[in-house]
Amino acid sequence: MSFITAYCHLRENVCSVNGELVATLDKSSEDAWFKQIYKAQEFVYPKFYKMDTLSQAGYLASELIKRAAPYIVNDYADDEIALIFANKSSSADTDLRFINSYEHNGAPSPSLFVYTLPNIVLGEIAILNKWYGENMFAVLPKFTPDFFLTHTQILFSTGSKTALCGWLEILGDKIHAFLFLIEQAGTGKPELNIENLSNIAGPEIIHN
Amino acid sequence: MDNLKEDLKKQIIEQLNLEDITPADIADDALLFNDSGLGLDSIDALELIVLLEKYHGIQVTNPDEGKDAFKTINTMAAYVQKRKG
Repeated sequence: MSFITAYCHLRENVCSVNGELVATLDKSSEDAWFKQIYKAQEFVYPKFYKMDTLSQAGYLASELIKRAAPYIVNDYADDEIALIFANKSSSADTDLRFINSYEHNGAPSPSLFVYTLPNIVLGEIAILNKWYGENMFAVLPKFTPDFFLTHTQILFSTGSKTALCGWLEILGDKIHAFLFLIEQAGTGKPELNIENLSNIAGPEIIHN
Repeated sequence: MDNLKEDLKKQIIEQLNLEDITPADIADDALLFNDSGLGLDSIDALELIVLLEKYHGIQVTNPDEGKDAFKTINTMAAYVQKRKG
């Protein structure tokens, strides 16, 4: 049996952890939305500024989940934490920015080019935390609870002890980031099943 | 020369998204690719090549040349001056 022990939602104008609001978009700010969260939460990781939006979203949500479940850093070995992410639009948002960089700015941007794969966000999270466990990024037509249930069970049967999972869909001004932590123990936490995961994900992710 | 160094610092900050750094934070002789300096990485090196072409019209085609040119702001400025004749 597995449990959903922490989760984070990041949308166009709100960010919440375990259902509690942690940040709201300040439209009067000069800073971009993700940068507002980064500053407000007092994160210190200068590489954040170089990341594309997909990686920034993954970074912010994973750091917020770590704050909600700080024990994971010490309770699991560095190869026991798996990362299982998915989305619909792959890295299309950054792909388009990269195309724009050489069509309109005179020269392609190498720093944009390195983000023209969706799984780079997994590398960013793994490098930052020195997590060497299994990881995968799937491109799926829609958020599919079954996918996460199946793959966490496979990874748990092959050595992983916990899994940071995520639906990380970003395209243009649309943001649907939902990260959740799956553990094999979780007193009082919702059991990992299709109904609970669908409820926590919320209708906007399920039906998009 | 001092203006060129100042311009290079601003261009590096802009091109590399070094949000928390100001030109005053970058010493002329600080090693750009050393953690005691700016701590740039290999992707940043590519951005510096793009920067020289974008802002100064200089193409760096010889990797060895770039290795020496990108050591510090001083070496970058000297390289730009030399290439511009």
